Amino acid sequence: MSLAPSEHAPATTTPAGRGTTKQTRRTRPCRRRLLTRTSVPYLLIMPAVLGFAIFKAYPIVASLWISLTTGNGAGRHFTGLGNYQRLLSDPLFWTALKNTALILVVQVPLMLGLALLVALGLNSTKVWLRPLWRLGVFVPSLTGLVAAGVMFSVILNRDAGLLNWVLSLFGIDRVNWLGSPFWARVGVVLVITWHYTGYNAVIYLAGLQGIPQELYEAAKVDGAGPVRRFVSITLPQLRPILLLTVVLSTIGTLQLFDEPYVLTGGGPDNATLTVTMYLYNNGFKYFDFGYASALAYALALIVAVLGFLQVRLMGERK
Amino acid sequence: MSHQLSRRRLLQLATASVAGLGLAACGDNGSGSAGGDGDSGKITVWSWTTPAEGLRSVVPAFERDNPGIEVDVQDVGNPAIWDKITVGLASGGKGLADVLHIGVDYLPGYLDKFPDGIADLSRLGADKYKDAFAKGLWPTVIGENKAAHALPWEVNPLGLFYRHDHFEKAGVDPDGIGDWNDMIAAGSKILNATGVRLLGLDKTGATQDMDFFQNLMQLQDVFYFDQDGKITLASPAAIKALTIIKRLNDAGLIADTAGQGTEKRLLGQGKLATYAEAAWAVEYLASTFPEQKGKWRSMQPPAAVPGGKRNAIVNSTYLAVSGSSTRRKAAWRFIEYALTKPARINRMFASGGVFPALKAAYDDPKFSSPHPFYGGQKVLKPFVESLSADARATNFTGDYARALKFASDAQSQVLLKGADPADALKKAAEQLAQQTGRQQAV
Repeated sequence: MSLAPSEHAPATTTPAGRGTTKQTRRTRPCRRRLLTRTSVPYLLIMPAVLGFAIFKAYPIVASLWISLTTGNGAGRHFTGLGNYQRLLSDPLFWTALKNTALILVVQVPLMLGLALLVALGLNSTKVWLRPLWRLGVFVPSLTGLVAAGVMFSVILNRDAGLLNWVLSLFGIDRVNWLGSPFWARVGVVLVITWHYTGYNAVIYLAGLQGIPQELYEAAKVDGAGPVRRFVSITLPQLRPILLLTVVLSTIGTLQLFDEPYVLTGGGPDNATLTVTMYLYNNGFKYFDFGYASALAYALALIVAVLGFLQVRLMGERK
Repeated sequence: MSHQLSRRRLLQLATASVAGLGLAACGDNGSGSAGGDGDSGKITVWSWTTPAEGLRSVVPAFERDNPGIEVDVQDVGNPAIWDKITVGLASGGKGLADVLHIGVDYLPGYLDKFPDGIADLSRLGADKYKDAFAKGLWPTVIGENKAAHALPWEVNPLGLFYRHDHFEKAGVDPDGIGDWNDMIAAGSKILNATGVRLLGLDKTGATQDMDFFQNLMQLQDVFYFDQDGKITLASPAAIKALTIIKRLNDAGLIADTAGQGTEKRLLGQGKLATYAEAAWAVEYLASTFPEQKGKWRSMQPPAAVPGGKRNAIVNSTYLAVSGSSTRRKAAWRFIEYALTKPARINRMFASGGVFPALKAAYDDPKFSSPHPFYGGQKVLKPFVESLSADARATNFTGDYARALKFASDAQSQVLLKGADPADALKKAAEQLAQQTGRQQAV
């Protein structure tokens, strides 16, 4: 640790030799200064650390404590793992988890595949007015989640919705989009895909533009066709980006709330109830904060395990 | 004195700041004990849309008669108001308004889960109004400490609004309808004659609007819980209620009103022959669909069982003072001023459509006057009369929201999957018991 130059100055002593330390401190010409080469980095990160401590660490720890309690207001009492045990035997939790998993398995690959196709198209030099297309693809992700939910609840309305009107032009019967468990799930998948495909496409586009053109040129010289070049160059080069989007999309889908909340309210018959929606219901409708916190920790654990597995399975191998 | 902080001092300050914030957060335990009995200054009131308008109409006179108190009525919106109040109560009353407009579906839950979150009004003199309000409302305002925590503002006796023109075209005499068996037969006639369905219902349960199911139970003096708080969701009366809904659906008499604004749109298009709603709808229909003037009438709701009763109080709303308010006396004075004088409560009824709970308000001639929107029918009179009949209080309990969820699931299973009402309700009642720890009534 480097000291300020002043700290090397000789200490003065009193004739009696008493109170030396106190006297020394008082009379030392220069004290340790706030702004030193060592302290400045700490000062710079302090706002972030304080913000983290207040707005992240404290709620995380408080939530853990609440998940181990039950009761209300001031009357909380410790129940240990009671809320977690209750969670394991709660059929609605498993229904919500199953719904979330189903949406995850169907929607994430569909959306990312679509986003990759869109990105490949937008990256092509043969596309005319590319900035306009890029803007058009990205615009849905700028829409508020609740607004998107409300908009699709109108589009998917059985009797007066736009989608059923379009289908009727082709002689297809009206679909009960939000009234049937199967179609309600399809409706939720539609909304999320519409909302996030452009966002992921833009990430892929950035990745595609980072791939050296020399690789493609060399492959062409070696006689590789478009498919071969995609499989042998594009996909491996995009691997870190793919991993990023898969992990982010997985976390996002596991935390899915706004769209099904607005679109279906978790219905019909819990077909679109997600874990976060169930968490919200327990906290803010049933005032069962202990159980809601246990649900939050269960979800965090699932997210962590899935994220870890994805990184292990898709990550760079040494 | 040096203007430069030493590292130690900086560390001390930072630690103190974090600890202070942490303690501030930890110190809030929902007790609302931070409140005070100030009787002057500015008080805020949270309500929503039309009731907020009604309250605003009282403010000028109140401020004139109570110098030193200023009132700010805020339209928080419904259902947003419930999340705002819940979050405020959960954080020890932080950020709550002084006066809160709360529905019967939330008040027992708040009193149960946040015992000190709503101020004790008995201490401020509320008990003298115990008998001033419609029967069955006072038990709802009583907390575990046996004190009153709110004053009733709105009471909603049930009615059945119907399209006189559709009934006439189908040759249906409303006087000949005594129970829902009669109404189902009439509904089929109307459907055949006009192509109009009898009523609308959110079949998917997206909004968990279970009013119709609840009404059919309340007509039999049953709800999700009995007066002891035991679960009655699988009782014969509940099964009867859901069976009526299934029969209506099987006969093709229910229009699906899932989706925002669907029911309003169908009513506007004249595609629903009846509207099973409470007293507040008298002015709602008149102001929302003025072009349908003269086409509507109102009747007592058909009984759920032949010969059964035809009146019920389906819901009510209240004004309460938050426990954390620092101006509890001023807030109470506003509530007392607004809700206990017939002239003021009727002025709010006129401007906001909130049917008053104050019994003395019904002496006003408007409650027995012909209403032009209803073809000159004295439409309010039957509602008032039904309040003085044997309309029992409903015990919503602190677990109403959970019960509503399971009941809604059961109804969706019956309407969308053809499930048997008894089986669906049995499963719902079991889940409710498992989640709440409550017993089922035998």
